[in-house]
Amino acid sequence: MAAEPAYFVASDSETSGEEKSSFPIKDVAIGIDLGTSQCSVAFWNGSQLELIRNTRNQKLLRSFVTFKNETPSGGVSNQLAHEYEMLTGATIFNMKRLVGRLDTDPVVHASKNLPFLVQSLNIGVRPFIAALVNNMWRSTTPEEVLAIFLVELRALAEVHLKRPVTNVVLTIPVSFSRFQLSRIERACAMAGLHVLRLMPEPTAVALLYAQQQQQISQESTGGGNEKNALIFNMGAGYCDVAVTATAGGVSQIKALAGATIGGEDILQNMMHHLVPDMDNLFSSHGIEEIRTFGLLRVATQDAIHKLSFQESVQIDVDLGNGTKICKILDRNEFELVNLKVFEKCESLVWRCLHDAKVELEDLDDVILVGGCSYIPKIRSIVTSICKKDIYPGMNPMEAAVRGAALEGAVASGINDPSGSLDLLTIQATPLSIGIRADGISFIPVVHQNTAIPTRREVFFTTVHDNQTEALIIVYEGDEKVAEMNHLLGYFKITGIPPAPKGVPEITVCMDIDASNVLRVFAGIVMPGAQQPAGPFMEVRMPTVDDGHGWCAEALEKNYGTSKDLVTLQRKIQQ
Amino acid sequence: MCCSHSYGFLTSKTEPLAALFTTVPALSSQNRPDPVAKVSFPVNPTPPQGLKTRVGYRVGSGNGSVFTRAAVQDVVSVAEESCFYDLLGIPKTGTQLEIKQAYKQLARKYHPDVSPPDRVEEYTQRFLRVQEAYEILSDPNRRALYDRDMAKGLHFARRRYQNYDEDMEDKSQWKSRWQNQVSELKRRSNYKDSGNMSWGARMRRQQNESSS
Repeated sequence: MAAEPAYFVASDSETSGEEKSSFPIKDVAIGIDLGTSQCSVAFWNGSQLELIRNTRNQKLLRSFVTFKNETPSGGVSNQLAHEYEMLTGATIFNMKRLVGRLDTDPVVHASKNLPFLVQSLNIGVRPFIAALVNNMWRSTTPEEVLAIFLVELRALAEVHLKRPVTNVVLTIPVSFSRFQLSRIERACAMAGLHVLRLMPEPTAVALLYAQQQQQISQESTGGGNEKNALIFNMGAGYCDVAVTATAGGVSQIKALAGATIGGEDILQNMMHHLVPDMDNLFSSHGIEEIRTFGLLRVATQDAIHKLSFQESVQIDVDLGNGTKICKILDRNEFELVNLKVFEKCESLVWRCLHDAKVELEDLDDVILVGGCSYIPKIRSIVTSICKKDIYPGMNPMEAAVRGAALEGAVASGINDPSGSLDLLTIQATPLSIGIRADGISFIPVVHQNTAIPTRREVFFTTVHDNQTEALIIVYEGDEKVAEMNHLLGYFKITGIPPAPKGVPEITVCMDIDASNVLRVFAGIVMPGAQQPAGPFMEVRMPTVDDGHGWCAEALEKNYGTSKDLVTLQRKIQQ
Repeated sequence: MCCSHSYGFLTSKTEPLAALFTTVPALSSQNRPDPVAKVSFPVNPTPPQGLKTRVGYRVGSGNGSVFTRAAVQDVVSVAEESCFYDLLGIPKTGTQLEIKQAYKQLARKYHPDVSPPDRVEEYTQRFLRVQEAYEILSDPNRRALYDRDMAKGLHFARRRYQNYDEDMEDKSQWKSRWQNQVSELKRRSNYKDSGNMSWGARMRRQQNESSS
């Protein structure tokens, strides 16, 4: 990478995704699993999937970027002498937990005791993050850090494949909002990468499972029956669950559930358990505190790893500030401290099964992947709910990236004579998308777990007599109160012909294409009219930018209920 | 396949009377790469006011039936053949297994990820129809309703099938099981939570501290 700029910005347009379908597919897209703590790259080599190794023969690459002088370097090329090196303040990691979040987000607040600087002013804007370079806090953004890392991944892939790489399939957490997805796309664009698909992590695993099942059914006679599988994925940052129905190489995603909960939360819980006043100790973020924190973090992480394979562990660490921790920790204590995390995992599994409407006895396989799948408690939670042993054919650390590379080959239109690419994922929407109406309610137009591509519409009407304008405020989520969901954008419909309230019909239609691009259409139809009253609006979402924390509040303050809508109640005729 | 046209079916779960129609503003429909929105419409040359309107009707709504009138004759001519069973290519006595298999086979053919690049638009529309047929026929309640209407020759209306189940009986079994789980989890966490501060509580405390 040397002295040339570490990355270049290809596009700063919110509509960069517009290229999606028109982008010429020259090369087979590679798969990237961009994890909170580890990344990997895989590709279809013409006959099978292959993971790319770096110069030190590693397949799993640590996700971090170290800022030194003017040249940042990431975990792809950079060798760490020791784990502590990552904890000096000069290195930014956990980007995936920070990207696309506002400074009012609890996950951002929980990141404040990381060695680098995370500042939040609680005003609904992007948090300020900075790395310690030559004793100065140098500011950066999660997107920039991700882009630097992606440039390294791209360079690694290009050297290995001996061709330029532009098209990628990236795995993402189920719980990411469309705004967060747009930030990931932005980071990719900054790194000169074109996102062919963003795939929720468990759906990538589901595709790999579909391929395995197809191979099995081809070998055996008969077969071809539908198989239901539950996929549980938990890494450092996120927990995702999916239920898939698989037959004939087609993986139909029946339901998705996810939350921002992962190994990082377990680690934070344990550190707080060992040093209860940790937040106060490290709040000043001085050089000494950062060093102390590093020692604590490494010792705790080490203990957690050991507890996956042994019943108890001895923690012995001198934090150097007069505090010594000398303690024997056993699994029971560990599980008690992280009770909330495990309960959340449990509820995600139940919710996903419920939403998929798959009965437990109809579940054929249970697949566990991700770093946290090694934790005995996690394994016992999932197996005791599903009453099944864990499916043996998945490498927990490689399944997602392999699935992404498979999708890369399939979506690039590659065929394989053996039929091993005769595959398809029918994706589903992880979150509902709708608008604010009926007061402050969230009225979904596209419901959660709807198969995509899809088109759905709902009819609304005015709340005031002679109301001439209406605000369409689009949210994504599953909370009943609109504002509790993720704001995606807003626009105004004008020119509603004067009429008593409840008469004009406002159509709101949402279209999601196979590339997961969301378009919102809205227009006015007057009763008895042959044609709509004026042109329809078409808006690509999300349209919001970084400072959208208080947008909804500002709209409320400026407009009150003057431009509100209610759902149109129709008389049902038998 | 019985349907030779490519239709944009727009269905809604919350809309009690499912509608099917496609609207695309004429201005932006030209240079759009999106296969779904760039549908080319075989009927109804561009109407005034910059809107292409086509194929769609609702039943039972007294007003706003602009889409109905725009399309009635067209729909009827096709609808005679295009019942959901024909669409999936299965007999009316088809089993759930046959429905699932037919759906997956047709998805392999028409899903935009795997359809031939020059026919993505047309195939996407077909996929949306196959998806709708599958969703209704794979649900025993909605299928029964559909079968009943089809016997009366009313099935073109596509009433209610889309949202039939949402708040009704078929969820109740799951719902009660789910609620039992949740209350059990709550009970357990109350019981065990006395000693350690919860993750959520700490989040709240941190947030309070940082904002003060």
